[in-house]
Amino acid sequence: MLPRLAWRNLWRQRTRTLILISAVTFSYALLLVAMGVGDDSHQQMLDAAVEGAGGDVLVHRDGYWSTLAADLVLPDGLAVAERARGVEGVAEAIPRIRLPALVSTADGARAVDLLAVDPLVEEALVDIHEHLVEGERLDATALESPILLGIRMAEDLETEVGGRVVLTASGWDGELTRALFRVAGFLETGIREVDETLAYTTLQAAWGALGDSATVTQVGVLVQEGTDVEVLAEALREGLGRDGVPVEVLTWRQAVPEMVGFIETDDAFLYIYAAVMFVVVAFAIANTFLVAVTERVREFGLLNALGLRGRRIGVLVLVETAVLTLVAVGVGFAIALAGHLAIDHWGIPIAIWGMEDMELAGVNISDMVMRSQITTSKWIVATVAVMVTTVGSAVFAAVKAARLVPAEAMRFYE
Amino acid sequence: MSEPLIRAEGVTKVFRQGELEVHALRGVDLTVGVGEFSALAGPSGCGKTTLLNLIGALDEPSGGVLSVAGQDVTQLARGDAADFRLDHVGFVFQAYNLVPVLTAYENAEFTLLLRGASREERRTVVEPLLERVGLGGLFERKPHELSGGQQQRVAVVRALATSPSIVLADEPTANLDSTASAGLLDLMLELNQELGTTFLFATHDELVLERAKRVVRMLDGRVDEDIWD
Repeated sequence: MLPRLAWRNLWRQRTRTLILISAVTFSYALLLVAMGVGDDSHQQMLDAAVEGAGGDVLVHRDGYWSTLAADLVLPDGLAVAERARGVEGVAEAIPRIRLPALVSTADGARAVDLLAVDPLVEEALVDIHEHLVEGERLDATALESPILLGIRMAEDLETEVGGRVVLTASGWDGELTRALFRVAGFLETGIREVDETLAYTTLQAAWGALGDSATVTQVGVLVQEGTDVEVLAEALREGLGRDGVPVEVLTWRQAVPEMVGFIETDDAFLYIYAAVMFVVVAFAIANTFLVAVTERVREFGLLNALGLRGRRIGVLVLVETAVLTLVAVGVGFAIALAGHLAIDHWGIPIAIWGMEDMELAGVNISDMVMRSQITTSKWIVATVAVMVTTVGSAVFAAVKAARLVPAEAMRFYE
Repeated sequence: MSEPLIRAEGVTKVFRQGELEVHALRGVDLTVGVGEFSALAGPSGCGKTTLLNLIGALDEPSGGVLSVAGQDVTQLARGDAADFRLDHVGFVFQAYNLVPVLTAYENAEFTLLLRGASREERRTVVEPLLERVGLGGLFERKPHELSGGQQQRVAVVRALATSPSIVLADEPTANLDSTASAGLLDLMLELNQELGTTFLFATHDELVLERAKRVVRMLDGRVDEDIWD
């Protein structure tokens, strides 16, 4: 009986009910869509952060990551990578050299961030040829000591594919070393700073220039799906730190704390937005239902006079709110789902907000396309929160209705 | 002599409005027997509606003894008072008698529904009563689609549906024209005679007073005159 009464009562003030339902519906749908886009963006940022850092877990010589000092190396880096591959939960261990260097031609010299990799192994994390706009892949070229350069740097140095450049860097022994490289191709990421400083070569070529054919500066570890990164990092610390070389093992969270901080802050803003929205909706509903109770004092008095207990009258008011909320949540969910599917299908390029050159915590996000991702637990929590907030906001009105004295209520408006 | 249906002794009711005390009832003594068709009469403010509300457990007396259908109604908790009304009292009010969102049929069966009667039990009771009061064919009409007289008839059916000990009617004809009033009162009188249900009115209406077998005239919160037909 109460649900039927509640449903009909809701539509007595059709316009008011529709406005209330709309407020709850769109607040709820917006919240879900914002969470979907936020979660997907954060996931992309994290993926980019992991790519930028070099893996889910990073293994360095102790002190390397904070200083990027060229002399803090893993002398037997290939063996470290091999031992890491044997740790349970490791999907791949990628040895690489990462160090500052100078690339020069007859037309000038440029400082570069040199990355020396095994292109085939590196593909487990990222295809470095993704941004190749001219020339050949490192793993396909016949050139000796091949190097890929950022397009802007190549323009500044007036070099061309097949041209020669001289790489100057600090060798493993600390002495300055110079070596000739051949330009295999050009990379264009779209970020000015990166395109001015990026240089990729192979481990073999780097070792040829720097000496010692097993030394690397970093081993990036990728974890198998479902593996706890923190637990794996601890296992690596125990497994790799035994042979005299002090290593540091960092999770990506430790390696890029700025990104983690940004995401946590972004999440916090979303929760603040949700809290503000909930408060506004709660006040709107509380006010509306208080007005509705005042308008229906005589009716509640009549129901009580006929034998409907005060507590059930209060429940009637709450059921009305619950029905309103269910309708709003149903419609809101459908809208949110449609929004989620549309955004996930078409995507929203972050560049449309003028972020052509956006870098966050050292990670390029300018070419990011925001999509949507449903985190079931979050959507459930949001739905429960909306329902509890809206129904809860009518509690005061319900209590007021439940406590009416029938004789006084029946005199109302007389 | 059997216990009267209503027994009031020295019943008082004081309303407090801030510092002000309004003595609506100043010691009412009254007994009403089973099957009576009686009316409380008197000028506005004499305490008719207040007394009716106390008898119907819609309000609590400030003092005195009041029992209805053998139950002391002076100390009922709110929930118990609601149950008491559901079990023993039928109401017909002056106005706003029906729940606006329910149909005539749903309003008529409302008290039975509160009692937990099955759909079939409700239908068996309500349909013949609605037919009896001339509302056959109007079951699905909402209150705003019924005339004032028709609404009051629905209220009478609802009041009688649970076979209460007493029907309390507060100015039931106040918003009706004389023809509709006469029709409604004749119907209530017939039902009183057929079913033996006790009716107690609070009214100014001469049409009611003409039909009442007993008229209790009140003045200034007391019983002034008790006239039997």
